[in-house]
Amino acid sequence: MLATLKPRLNSPYSLWLTGLLALMATGAVAGLVVFARGLVVTNLSDYVPWGLWITIDITSIALSAGAFALCAGAYLMGLKQLRPLARTAAFVGLTGYTMAMLCLLLDIGRPDRFWHGFVFWNVHSVLWEVTMCVGLYFSVLMMENASTVAELPWLKQRFPALAAKMHHLHHYTPALAVAGLGFSLLHQSSLGATYGVLASRPIWFRPGLAVLFIVSAVIGGVAMTLLVSMLTKRLRPETAVDDSLISNVSRALGWMLIGYLYLRFWDLFAMTYTYTPGRSEGLHLLTKGPLAFNFWVGEMLVGVVLPIAILLVARWRSNPNLRMAALASVVVGLIAYRWDTNLLGQLIITSPFTGAEELRLATYFPSLVEWLTAGGVIAFGLLILTLGIRYLRVVDHDHESCRV
Amino acid sequence: MTAKKSTTRRDFLKLSLTGAGGLAVLGLASQIDRANAEAADNSKHSWAMVIDQAKCNGCGNCILACRASNDVNPDITWNKLYHQDSIAGKEVYLSVPCQHCEHAPCVSVCPVKASYYREDGIVMMDYDRCIGCRYCQVACPYGARSFNWETFDGPNPAVPEWGEPDVERRSRGVAEKCTFCVQRIDRGLSMGLTPGVDEAATPACVNACPQDARLFGDLNDPESPVSKALAASPHYRLKDELGTGTRVYYLPADRAQES
Repeated sequence: MLATLKPRLNSPYSLWLTGLLALMATGAVAGLVVFARGLVVTNLSDYVPWGLWITIDITSIALSAGAFALCAGAYLMGLKQLRPLARTAAFVGLTGYTMAMLCLLLDIGRPDRFWHGFVFWNVHSVLWEVTMCVGLYFSVLMMENASTVAELPWLKQRFPALAAKMHHLHHYTPALAVAGLGFSLLHQSSLGATYGVLASRPIWFRPGLAVLFIVSAVIGGVAMTLLVSMLTKRLRPETAVDDSLISNVSRALGWMLIGYLYLRFWDLFAMTYTYTPGRSEGLHLLTKGPLAFNFWVGEMLVGVVLPIAILLVARWRSNPNLRMAALASVVVGLIAYRWDTNLLGQLIITSPFTGAEELRLATYFPSLVEWLTAGGVIAFGLLILTLGIRYLRVVDHDHESCRV
Repeated sequence: MTAKKSTTRRDFLKLSLTGAGGLAVLGLASQIDRANAEAADNSKHSWAMVIDQAKCNGCGNCILACRASNDVNPDITWNKLYHQDSIAGKEVYLSVPCQHCEHAPCVSVCPVKASYYREDGIVMMDYDRCIGCRYCQVACPYGARSFNWETFDGPNPAVPEWGEPDVERRSRGVAEKCTFCVQRIDRGLSMGLTPGVDEAATPACVNACPQDARLFGDLNDPESPVSKALAASPHYRLKDELGTGTRVYYLPADRAQES
């Protein structure tokens, strides 16, 4: 076992691992600075209290949505051919939620009180509901991944009884898929509603955010799963990956993106033609202000238009490079959407009285410590994925549990 | 399905139900504790503040008295002062403490019920429960909440010139805001004083105002300074259209011309 773990120092793999470990080490030091000195080391302010960490938090949760969507498809809707993807997605999901929780620990002012949400319930708060669902769903993900982890030869040799118990959890996959579907539909939408319920921020205050968040999360999460599978095949050609399955699901993603574009178009168009204080300014931030590049290029061109074209034209989709590029651009578009949405409502400093003549704009750019800790969290996620792919074979379309 | 398996599952369900029940009981118990800590006759009162914009000259003494009395970090203001308008060459200022909404967005969104209503209408913070997520800050329409980005240690520059602290300093990492000087109200009531009339029972900002632009009192008492002022003058509340139902009333600066 140790022999296989020992990497050759000059191989791309060991360079990759070294890079990730270096990022994680820097991130850990930066994280210690955050815990020692408090959030004063960030560029967050009373005007923009939610920044880079929250964006990574809601983005990694969204990119984990493949887990519930593909598990529900494979085990509840009878689409058995999705099983190999569901296994990958569950692991991607576990990684994403771990990243989200690390970011939250950095972000809350009193990380020692992270557990308060589970004890002191405010059932009226969407954020409480998100806390509960994320906590419960994380345990679902752990159980869904237990049978995958149980395959570690080391675990099987050292703790055979435990490995057998963990493997046995595989029999409950359909039940776990039901729980995962329920919790995910709730909190993925509620993350949008977290912004959408605030009457104090007119650009956020609309019911559509919950819908846009769940739809974009399912698309982004499935795209992430497919991207991980294709990248694995590219870097480890011996991996069994069913390319026609990936192609078919990619095509479905193309159609779902059209649905998303439709919803997003009406969502924005409906806010266009009358002046509403705060809301109209917010819309302008997006369409012609400081967020315009993110919106038109990141969200719309890269995130929606390009992938729709590539994924729906059979000739382009059949080219693995183009297809991977399309899947990656869906992920980029989702990150841009979450970043823009989170900032939009905060950049406009709402006046405490109605009829203020000018609205002031706040600014926010993350501090070095925020970037370094974020880099550490992302590197940690990539490391877990890398190790999972290598030692747990989370991408393996010939796996026994995936046989139909 | 063997008998052994189903037993395991039942045990698992039992265990998780017990766990969930335990958590709920813990949560409930803490609510009861909090209710007991409040004065028994709080429900009789309905505290409110009136700020007369015709009298306010923007001197900011209210801010300093508040900082001293509540031991507030000099980087934080519980009582924000805005320049609202100029009417006939006269500057109009707007002093904005926590509005103590009847339907407070901060109370609805707080994931751990660290923000809550007292029976007398004051929106309070439990600093020992706050996790520092800052959702209340994002939700407040009045920008009334501040976050403790760093530890406040060392002397308070507003002390002793503007008063002596009579509450504990908040820890780093929690949100804070104006409390209507709840410590003065509760102590005053226990001494048989009337908040809004007796200085010792009245919020520090009201006492400190050199223009007498601020009034405090009980809306349930028709003889209180606030009830009398509201009966005698036109008044408005901030962002009333949001339905927050605030407890801070403003007498507009230009009401002499209006009436």
